[in-house]
Amino acid sequence: MKKRLIVIVLIAVALSSCNSFLDVVPETSLSSATFFKTESDFAQAVNAAYAPLRNIANDHAWCLGELHSDNTYYARNVLFGAVDNTENLADFAVPTANGITTNSHVRDQYRLDYLIIARTNQILALIDGVDFDADSKANLKGQALFLRAYAYFELVRYFGKVPLHLTPVTDRQEAALPLSSTDSIYDQIIKDATEAGSLLLPKSKQEPGRATSGAAKTLLANVYIVLKKWTDAETLLQQVVDSHEYELMPNYADAFSNSASNKNNIESVFEIQFKEGSDGYSGNFLYDFLPRPMTAAEVETITGTSNPQSLSEEGNNIPTPDIISAYEPGDKRKDASIAYITLSTSLRANKVFPYIKKYAKKHAQQGNTGTDWPVYRYSEVLLFMAEALNEDNKPGDAAVYLNKVRQRAGLPPTTAVSVPDMRNAIYRERRVEFAFENKRWFDLVRTGRVKDVITAYGKRVVGNPLNYYYPAGAVPPSNAFTQLETVYPLPADESALTPYF
Amino acid sequence: MTKIKILHRRGLLQLIRFVTSVFCLLLFSLLCYGQKRITGRVTDFDTGGPLTSVTVGIKGSSQGMVTDKNGHFSLNARPSDSLVVSFIGYQTKTVPVGNRTDILIKLQSSNQRLDQLVVVGYGTQMKKDVTGAVQTIDVGKLRDIPVSQITQKLQGKLAGVQINETTGKPGEGMSVRIRGQLSVSAGSEPLYVVDGFPIVGNIGSINPDEIQSISILKDAASTSLYGSRAANGVVLITTKHGKAGQTNVSLNTYVGMQQVPQRGRIKMMNAVEFAQFKKEYYEDEGQPVPIEFQNPSQYQGKNNDWYGALLRKAPIQSYNLTITTNTDKLNAAIVAGYFNQEGVVLNTTYKRYSLRMNMDYSISDKVKIGFNLAPSYIYDNTPQTDGDRGTGLLFDALHTWPIMPIRDSTGQLTKYNQLPASTGNIYAYPNWVRAAAEITDENKYVNILTNGYIQYEPIKGLVLKSSINLQYINTKYFFFNPSTATYAINVPIPTTAVSRRNNMDEATWLNENLATYTKSFNDHHFQLLAGVTTQKYTESNTNVQADTYTDDRLPTIQGALNINRGGTNNGANAWTLTSFLSRLTYNYKGKYLFTAAIRADGSSRFGSKNRWGTFPSASLGWVLSDEDFFKQFRNISFAKIRTSYGVIGNNNIGNYTQYALVNNTVNAVFNDNVATGAAVTSMSNTDLGWETTKEYDAGIDLGFFNDRIQFTYDYYLKHTTNLLYSVQVPQESGFSNFNDNIGEIKFWGHEFSVTSINTTGRLRWTTNANISFNRNKVMALANGIDRVYGSFNITEVGHPFGVFYGLIDEGLYQNAADLKNSPVIPGRSTVGSIKLKDVNGDGVITYGGDQDDRAIIGTPFPKFTYGITNTLSYGDFDFSIVGSGSYGNELYMRHLYSLANLDGVFNMVERVKDRWRSEQNPGDGFFGTTVGGGNVTGVERDWPNSQYIGNASFFTIKNITLGYNVRLKSKTIKSARIYASCQQVYIFTKYWGGSNPETSFSTDNLSQGLDLSNYPVPRTYTLGVNINF
Repeated sequence: MKKRLIVIVLIAVALSSCNSFLDVVPETSLSSATFFKTESDFAQAVNAAYAPLRNIANDHAWCLGELHSDNTYYARNVLFGAVDNTENLADFAVPTANGITTNSHVRDQYRLDYLIIARTNQILALIDGVDFDADSKANLKGQALFLRAYAYFELVRYFGKVPLHLTPVTDRQEAALPLSSTDSIYDQIIKDATEAGSLLLPKSKQEPGRATSGAAKTLLANVYIVLKKWTDAETLLQQVVDSHEYELMPNYADAFSNSASNKNNIESVFEIQFKEGSDGYSGNFLYDFLPRPMTAAEVETITGTSNPQSLSEEGNNIPTPDIISAYEPGDKRKDASIAYITLSTSLRANKVFPYIKKYAKKHAQQGNTGTDWPVYRYSEVLLFMAEALNEDNKPGDAAVYLNKVRQRAGLPPTTAVSVPDMRNAIYRERRVEFAFENKRWFDLVRTGRVKDVITAYGKRVVGNPLNYYYPAGAVPPSNAFTQLETVYPLPADESALTPYF
Repeated sequence: MTKIKILHRRGLLQLIRFVTSVFCLLLFSLLCYGQKRITGRVTDFDTGGPLTSVTVGIKGSSQGMVTDKNGHFSLNARPSDSLVVSFIGYQTKTVPVGNRTDILIKLQSSNQRLDQLVVVGYGTQMKKDVTGAVQTIDVGKLRDIPVSQITQKLQGKLAGVQINETTGKPGEGMSVRIRGQLSVSAGSEPLYVVDGFPIVGNIGSINPDEIQSISILKDAASTSLYGSRAANGVVLITTKHGKAGQTNVSLNTYVGMQQVPQRGRIKMMNAVEFAQFKKEYYEDEGQPVPIEFQNPSQYQGKNNDWYGALLRKAPIQSYNLTITTNTDKLNAAIVAGYFNQEGVVLNTTYKRYSLRMNMDYSISDKVKIGFNLAPSYIYDNTPQTDGDRGTGLLFDALHTWPIMPIRDSTGQLTKYNQLPASTGNIYAYPNWVRAAAEITDENKYVNILTNGYIQYEPIKGLVLKSSINLQYINTKYFFFNPSTATYAINVPIPTTAVSRRNNMDEATWLNENLATYTKSFNDHHFQLLAGVTTQKYTESNTNVQADTYTDDRLPTIQGALNINRGGTNNGANAWTLTSFLSRLTYNYKGKYLFTAAIRADGSSRFGSKNRWGTFPSASLGWVLSDEDFFKQFRNISFAKIRTSYGVIGNNNIGNYTQYALVNNTVNAVFNDNVATGAAVTSMSNTDLGWETTKEYDAGIDLGFFNDRIQFTYDYYLKHTTNLLYSVQVPQESGFSNFNDNIGEIKFWGHEFSVTSINTTGRLRWTTNANISFNRNKVMALANGIDRVYGSFNITEVGHPFGVFYGLIDEGLYQNAADLKNSPVIPGRSTVGSIKLKDVNGDGVITYGGDQDDRAIIGTPFPKFTYGITNTLSYGDFDFSIVGSGSYGNELYMRHLYSLANLDGVFNMVERVKDRWRSEQNPGDGFFGTTVGGGNVTGVERDWPNSQYIGNASFFTIKNITLGYNVRLKSKTIKSARIYASCQQVYIFTKYWGGSNPETSFSTDNLSQGLDLSNYPVPRTYTLGVNINF
């Protein structure tokens, strides 16, 4: 009887405590139900929204924005194969079918931009509902809006039409949206960047490395320039200039950060932040940009590391003869941007290769650099200003800004007078001033020069492979320079998951 | 009250007597008093022939002996004694001695189903009354098989159960799949229940010698009492208990040697062949040949077999002492075991120390208590042998250039090898032998399993049982990579020394309260079971990773210059489960059988809107042979048909999959300062639930010739729905996946098994054979998703799950005309390069995307699996041979992406010698030209295609054992047997990708059947002894 009683009691206990017994929440991670409650939560969420920028700058943006232009090429290594994703971009032979591609850089760039967008959407959907310090909230919200505008601006320029997500996705049904028109995406970018420009702090008051009001305004001006809204651009750029937050570094080479110093300097409007060291925030794009095979000793002359190791496989972003010859005689930027190395183990007769010097800063450990990636420098504000003024039929005013940039480069004032001449002068200036800063492809697209420039360039590559770092006997693939579309095809892996493309 | 005390005291006395007698047995020979000499003979009840090697013992004593070749025995006994006569395959018989001095004992074959008791979920049933699909195994018959885990011993024995040894790592790598069950991400391993306790952790931690019997529950009617954990089938393990009226002490031990046979290893180029290839490569490419390859014959006699250098002959040994006793009140068993298997790969060790104590004690006729305690400790050190290039030692060894020296001219192991980049050597190859020998990669595993129960029978027929079960597991992992070695490719030596320590504690408790009421009236027999159970599991882990050591001899945490933040963390996990269960069993006259069962499970794993799942089942049976009309079929001694239907679940959906989680290590950096970042990394799903399987089963059991031949057939049909799947979502959402219950898979199959006593008497020959046909088909996936990709597999609606997917190899472009007239890959196809099939007919060969030319190119699933065991005994000799096979399954030889990489950056399979070199020298048509670099050869390497599919049908002679009963004129030793055994004797197969056609690198069902050169399964030769005292 007693036993039966015990059993009954046990059953009763089991029943009554069932529901709380069955609630087991994770102990070592936060869940979204308890997050986004405090200022600190939002500050952390904003930080996380910056994180994908490192991956974008280190691994993908240069493939899509620079290698995919006449500024750089790859140095073919016939002993090594698995490089079709980068080669296809450099060769304008990205496999495309029905507006879709399997190229992994295209896919990853797309996904990383949306990662920024999703993280900023989480913040923007909830931040107004939580009560905390208004100044801090404005700064956090401004950063989120800037980053969302930044990501969409990349997407719209790469792809033209993309889905426009502005609220957090909470279940499977909401995950895919139809492609929005280019116009509506630009409208949103303008809205976000405008608001960010008014919410954010100026550079002198903001924590170095974060988005500033100047960065938001420069971004917005860039948008207006792409849209050929010259006077809107001019107004904004004038504000940036008049803020006196920025100056050109006297020496062009010093405009770029070192591995652990000279970051976010007076010329820097916005740069993507890396940190040297083992804690996981370092970059290694410098190594991607080195020609190969390179012995450890040769690597050491460039990197100065304590553990140099040889480099095999294939080097990318090798300056083309075209960019090398684009510098005017006496341009100090040439030696600051491009250097040469002799590869003793190269299979080529000519073992001398150029490489990008502006990022080749000494550091401690192989493959671990803290050099930042420049997104906007003050010289671009000046050249944007020149371009906006010129297109607004004020070539004389434009020359003032153009010449500031030329003067720092050790060049005489421009001789251009007419609007078309001034336009070409600015284009030439932009090419060398921002060489290897992922501006070339976007500039060719927005100025409508892709077909002319790349077709001619392609003929030079195919006609003279030796000049483009091929070993004797090797040639570009037969389909090189056949894909001259001004937008990238959308990623196939995403296409497989959405009903809309 | 007094009565209980007395009983108690009597029990204590018995316990003392038992322990004392055990010591007596171990330390002294027993002296006998007041006894007389008895002789006798044992014969077969049916044939009258003499039975040899029958154990004849005296009840309650350790005395005994075995019969000679004429069935005779003699021993000393008192008139009050009873003889216990037992023999494998016969019913044990107890015979009072009385005044007789010459006794004839007729033993009846035990294949009379009537009295065979089968362990089923939450109870036992007469075999005759079982209405589900249950197969039982007497583990005693498997004791000679020299392996570490029980699941290895079951290979080839079970119908409908596919057991593969995917890697030869000692103590690891067994894949058990019952009735083809699988799921996308919720696993396919069955639920292991040890003495009623669903355990967590590794089944390999249980000493197989502790196990008495195993029941495999296959259909939903048998498993539905395990509710949301039953869908992959249930394996009920019953540990040893004493046999009625016997006390027994036995020692089972074997020692042996393992080695990897040369035959079956993947054939690689030797140094001369490799240098010749490289020479030809440069010649064909029109490039100057590097000095290293200009004269391939210089490497004659200087081959470096890196793979072979990692292997060795290794010893294996096992010792088990078992003591059992069963008297009126006390039933006890103690099993102490030591197992030590050194692996055939250098520096591999697996040691298991185990102890089990099982006690059941009847306090009174109505009250019984029981207590089991089973601690075990496992130490293993296993180098990281299995893995992809740069992560798995064996694969790395295979692809290392055979011209690279393992040892330098002074005989020392080289540090690493790297030739000039001009030779196409793109990686620094560390010395893998050093890596195996010098890196510590050890696990220490403590597992304590306990059960305790009290059982009370207040009225006749009603049994109340309450139990508490506990399991505690501690796993300590220690890894130290000294500066002198590395598993990673392209890391020069010295490297940065790294240590990792993981410490994990797991604990689970289960309380079960069951009531069973059994009642018979007239010809109606009922049993009703009802119960409530509660289980909780908690786990916590701490991980520390440190690097940059100044001294390799002191791999302490404090000895490191840097603590790696990314690898230093702690975690915790928990789940809870509360259940109600009930079963009704009814039969009329023992020939019309009915069972219905139901379980309701509430689990913390299920979403808040979907907390409880209900799992019902019902089954029917009809013993035809008990009907009058059946008497005309004289040769058919038994016939039963049965059918069942039930609903079961799979709750292996992860502990917190329903929640949206925030990861707070998504950090940013600003001006060289790290700023903590937090991001939502998953979406929540409050509707998330278990996977549901609805299963129908129909079977027939037949016995012929007085059950000398027994036959069982089962057909099953299952539909699994609500599969847990992390559905890929467009990443425009900021997420890659959403955890949801989706889709439907249909499974069906046929299972046949037969047991035949071919001869009886002096030569006794028994054959057990089984064959199973398992099929599956994906009926639906998620809305809008009709396919899910694995590594080289696709799971697509309308096709079997996880089949191989890629392009179809159609040979090579033989000449310019062939190239011109065939579909090509623009910019990549050349004469002599691989010709792939243009599946969609658009004239262009495309990998992936909208114009994809990929198709299903193979299957990891066998058309059928089979096993056959023959057991013979003749006089004092016994012999058994176990075979296990699989037909129609294929493997994706993933390692060929390096081992047949035509760029020549790695060593290659020998067959690459016969590649296409020119129109005049087109080779065997399998591998293509090396000219054109990665742009050309990359297609063959990087685009998965049917070239890489290997036929992995096999038949393996798993074990051959020859035993001999030694006749000892000893009073202490009842019986002694010596045997020799060979495990993994020979594999009949056409598979050429490696030595193990059972392999599968990934345990992920979506990516089955990849061969990445896993740890080879050794051949093992052992000598063993079984002694009964």
